[in-house]
Amino acid sequence: MPASSGEYSPISAPLNRRAFLGKSLATAAAFPTLAAFLDACSSSPTTAAPSSSAFTVASPANPVTWPISSTNPAIADNLVPEQNAIINIYTYTSYLDPAALKSFEKKYAKYNVKCLITTFESTSEAIGKIRSGGIQADIYNPSYDQMGRMVKGDLIQPLNHTYISNISNVWPSFTNPFYDQEWRYSVPYTVYTTGIVWRTDKVSEDVAARTNPYDVFWDPQYSKRLSVLDDYRTAMGLVAMRAGWDINTADPTQIAGMHEQLTKMNQATSPKVNVTDYQDIPTKVVDMCQAWSGDAFNMVSYMPTGQSPDVLRYWFPTDPHNGEVDNDMLVLLKMSKYPVMAHLFINHMLDYKVARANFMFTGYQMPQTLITPSNLVSDGTIPKNLASVVVEESLFAKGQRLLELPPAIDAQWQAVWSQFKAGA
Amino acid sequence: MRRRRFLWVALATPGVLWLLLLFVFPFYVVLSLAFGTLDPLFLSPVPIWNPMHWIPDQFTYVLSHLAGAAGFYGPAILRTFAYVFIASVGCLLIAYPVAYYVSRFGGKRKGMLLVLLIAPFWISYMMRMLAWVNLLQIDGWINKVLSFGGIFNVHIAWLDGRPSTVILGLIYGYIPYMILPLYAGLDRIENSLLEAARDLGASRWSTFRRVTLPMSKSAVVASLLLVTLPMVGDYFTNDLLSASPSTAMFGNLINTAIEADSQVGKGAALLIIMFVVLLAPMLYYVRMTEKAEGGAV
Repeated sequence: MPASSGEYSPISAPLNRRAFLGKSLATAAAFPTLAAFLDACSSSPTTAAPSSSAFTVASPANPVTWPISSTNPAIADNLVPEQNAIINIYTYTSYLDPAALKSFEKKYAKYNVKCLITTFESTSEAIGKIRSGGIQADIYNPSYDQMGRMVKGDLIQPLNHTYISNISNVWPSFTNPFYDQEWRYSVPYTVYTTGIVWRTDKVSEDVAARTNPYDVFWDPQYSKRLSVLDDYRTAMGLVAMRAGWDINTADPTQIAGMHEQLTKMNQATSPKVNVTDYQDIPTKVVDMCQAWSGDAFNMVSYMPTGQSPDVLRYWFPTDPHNGEVDNDMLVLLKMSKYPVMAHLFINHMLDYKVARANFMFTGYQMPQTLITPSNLVSDGTIPKNLASVVVEESLFAKGQRLLELPPAIDAQWQAVWSQFKAGA
Repeated sequence: MRRRRFLWVALATPGVLWLLLLFVFPFYVVLSLAFGTLDPLFLSPVPIWNPMHWIPDQFTYVLSHLAGAAGFYGPAILRTFAYVFIASVGCLLIAYPVAYYVSRFGGKRKGMLLVLLIAPFWISYMMRMLAWVNLLQIDGWINKVLSFGGIFNVHIAWLDGRPSTVILGLIYGYIPYMILPLYAGLDRIENSLLEAARDLGASRWSTFRRVTLPMSKSAVVASLLLVTLPMVGDYFTNDLLSASPSTAMFGNLINTAIEADSQVGKGAALLIIMFVVLLAPMLYYVRMTEKAEGGAV
């Protein structure tokens, strides 16, 4: 049917310029409707969230006791665990021993409890999904530098200590950590240091003997043979420690200095930026890297068949004031549908046998008083050359901690990191 | 007539809905993020849905850092175009003869050859790249082959962050997308036209140059578009085969931005810029095919 007959035909009636403009305007007019609709659908976090000026930074010098709101109290004592509970633990991939879940299900079989793991790639992603309700979970696995945001954002609930008797197995310092005095909201999960790993068959010098071992990342002889961790706080922390700055600096000059040093590092050694060092060192993709102690331990199991882990070395400063130590936590999400059973799960994870098995599975140590370097080396769990990957309480207490940065400062750090990763 | 009109509307509805749900709406979300703000506590992006309230700060930041002294995005973008150009040419140089051979000389084995060409699609892109990571390791098979069974001492660190490895990955990853449309285009050329050229005295080379090549031009452009557009946004190949900032591409800029809470809006702005840049070759292709259709009529 020809268009000239007056009948509409989708094939024969081409869209002329006037019609196109008309339809475009109609579409444009519809956009505000869509915008209004989306506005109505979204909960506006900008209005709900407290202002950044009210932000409290916890630090060893400024320990914080987070308030417990009457609208978000801990559960009561002596409650009966929920029947048919499904405990969802929101954590990193391979960061929790599946055997721990099985043993928990077996222990509380009469309540028919089931456990499952949901994983995230980064805590940013995790917090986003928790806030938006994109995930229904009970226990979350953050690092301590997110504590303030989670409490202020009303994302977690206080713990009832009467359900968590295994806290007695944990280093005493964690019953009153600076980031959560009186352990109101958290128990520790893993502890780790950040140091340097190298292969003695590829690196001839003793890196630990250098005046400042962090210099290796700027040493051109190691060009394209290194990697740093793809974590802006940790990698930029390395830059700060090398320069003798605070690893939580808010000083604009030092933040600019970190940018400058990262650029120089890129020019001198062009390091890889990733978190696959636990594979890259064993397979000789890199000869030396910045590494978390847990990943250094994991490298042993990634060594190719027939190759000895004796070539691996891990350096962490003998003076821990110039080294980074961190810990992750277990917290109970406010959204939890099974808070009693979730408390029992947290308690289960602090059991010595469960914690030790979890350490062997993940490579990341849980701060249990019975886990010591001498124990692990003597029973052959850890090669003698990697004894330094085991974190001791005395050393941990003296190390530098990555602290929660005020949002405006954090944004500056992230901007510097983006520039570094752009490879300019 | 009314029934016929209803039929056309019904046929168009799924496509329109598809476009609205999976293109228009997501694109509007990206715009709202690029012109949005940040949550003051979590630093997470807060989209502003109403265009009347859009804040241009993040877009301005990205634009002001594309070039010049503060232009840290610039080198990665230029690098991307260089890598994509080389990889696209590499793909074409490999894919065209392959597609030509299958269409002209495949004979009874055409089907089997096509299946073999499609086979890489059965394995995910990530798995194929991970396979290359193994092959390219210092002790990997590539070095073993190059050492000719140990005669030469070859210890090339292919994975140390070199551009050639990234380009190799791009060529390998995207070449199937080029072979198939090229094959389809070449296979459509009538044999009678080629025979006519030969009958009129043209040599094999002249026939190829003056008949086959011009007639496959639209297939070449389509296949180039099919590989270059995703290559420009690719970040995974570089992440796996290099992971060095010195080989960061446009896609890596966006990915890095998205991973850092406070930078998500900037990632959205970069994405819009990429979209605008890629619009030009797409429009060229549309115009070219329209002209070709017009010429055919």
